[in-house]
Amino acid sequence: MFALDVAAHTGPWRPRHPAEKALLSLGLLACAVALPPWPGAVLSGGAAATLLLGPARVSPAVLLRAARVPLLFVATSTVPLLVTMPAPARLAVDPAGPALAAQTAGRSVAALACLLLFSATTPLSEVLPRLHRLGIPAAVTEVAALTYRMLFLLVDSVRAVREAQAARLGFRTWRTAYASLAGQAGAVFVRAFSRARRLEEGLALRGYTGSLAVQVEARRMSPPFVAATVGLLVTIVVATAVAGSRW
Amino acid sequence: MHIAEGYLPPVQAAAWFAVSAPFVVHGSRTLVRQVRRDPDSKLLLGAAGAFTFVLSALKIPSVTGSCSHPTGTGLGAVLFRPPVMSVLGGIVLLFQAVLLAHGGLSTLGANIFSMAIVGPWVAFAVYALVRRAGGGMDVAVFAAAALGDLATYCVTSVQLALAFPDPAAGFVAALAKFGGIFAVTQIPLAISEGLLSVLVVRLLTRTSGDDLRRLGVLPTPAEVRA
Repeated sequence: MFALDVAAHTGPWRPRHPAEKALLSLGLLACAVALPPWPGAVLSGGAAATLLLGPARVSPAVLLRAARVPLLFVATSTVPLLVTMPAPARLAVDPAGPALAAQTAGRSVAALACLLLFSATTPLSEVLPRLHRLGIPAAVTEVAALTYRMLFLLVDSVRAVREAQAARLGFRTWRTAYASLAGQAGAVFVRAFSRARRLEEGLALRGYTGSLAVQVEARRMSPPFVAATVGLLVTIVVATAVAGSRW
Repeated sequence: MHIAEGYLPPVQAAAWFAVSAPFVVHGSRTLVRQVRRDPDSKLLLGAAGAFTFVLSALKIPSVTGSCSHPTGTGLGAVLFRPPVMSVLGGIVLLFQAVLLAHGGLSTLGANIFSMAIVGPWVAFAVYALVRRAGGGMDVAVFAAAALGDLATYCVTSVQLALAFPDPAAGFVAALAKFGGIFAVTQIPLAISEGLLSVLVVRLLTRTSGDDLRRLGVLPTPAEVRA
């Protein structure tokens, strides 16, 4: 399993209704993206980080590992904001660049903290069966749920194949590395379609009619949690508006 | 190349959702019709989605010494066709955002447009053109995967340039800046993805010919006779 999904399945917020956690993390995400970066994004990102490390008890190591790739993108794509191109093939430092780069990177890091709050507390397996209530066709949510269920098996298969290839010096040269990668992709394709066929046969034997609806564990919304979330979001919006009028 | 969470200004992020929506709706309708006609295809589509996710997680050695991930859009478009890929790609991008924090929810529209719409359509158009012009399977798959990947990277650069135009020279200069900085990794990656896709299709032709015929990638015996 993926580290964020493990955190979501084993964390103390697992029994909470997914809609509560979506309201909190996506509400904070909306604040981080839509409000001015100072102080809106800082407050939203700070609140998300505090909730992640505090009540949601997510390990900082898991968060840092998950944040590595998006932070690399933010660092790389912030470089062009620091320079301007006054003439073709000529670059100059933009005096307004550092401020724009800091605003953009700050908003993105804050939004990433909000995304991690959702990812590390809400298992996808609880979200997908509820998506049809948002108007998404049942066929699409069922395909998504099947994809979710199969991908763990396939990721494990790829890991096993990669280890076996590495033990046989399959990554010694570029040529062998590409052959090994093609082998991994081929193995995944074969296993994915073989599993789909076995599922097809198993379902046919059980009188499959075309619906793959699964039972969803009933969870009750917590009014105090929802009220606290709304209070937090309103506080961030008001604090940002007040700070904006003063600056 | 996923645009990270919160990187785009809110108006631009919303606009990319609006631009992607018709393609995703069209893809969803195609998928719903296909599932209604053949309920068993749901399982194959689930397998195709999982395959696309895992394909995009493979680590390709990069010229800079590090590792990069293929987009998987070119091979996915050749195997599963672009309308279905817009939905499967959307699902995969959602999973990558939520399970791996690659990309994001606010930038999902922009990432869907570059990776699940433009990439697959360009790849499939190139594949169809090369095949119609009499090109072999290897050449068609290489061109589809490499150009699909490059198209994805170009669209992402356009999206970033529109969001952050250069203060002196506007959109074009910003496009040169973003395109230039990502070209270092993306052009070698496109070539790598093309080569890898050729090897994968060669392997699948040997081991999973029936599946490729079911997907319409290889001709059936009746088509060969005709």
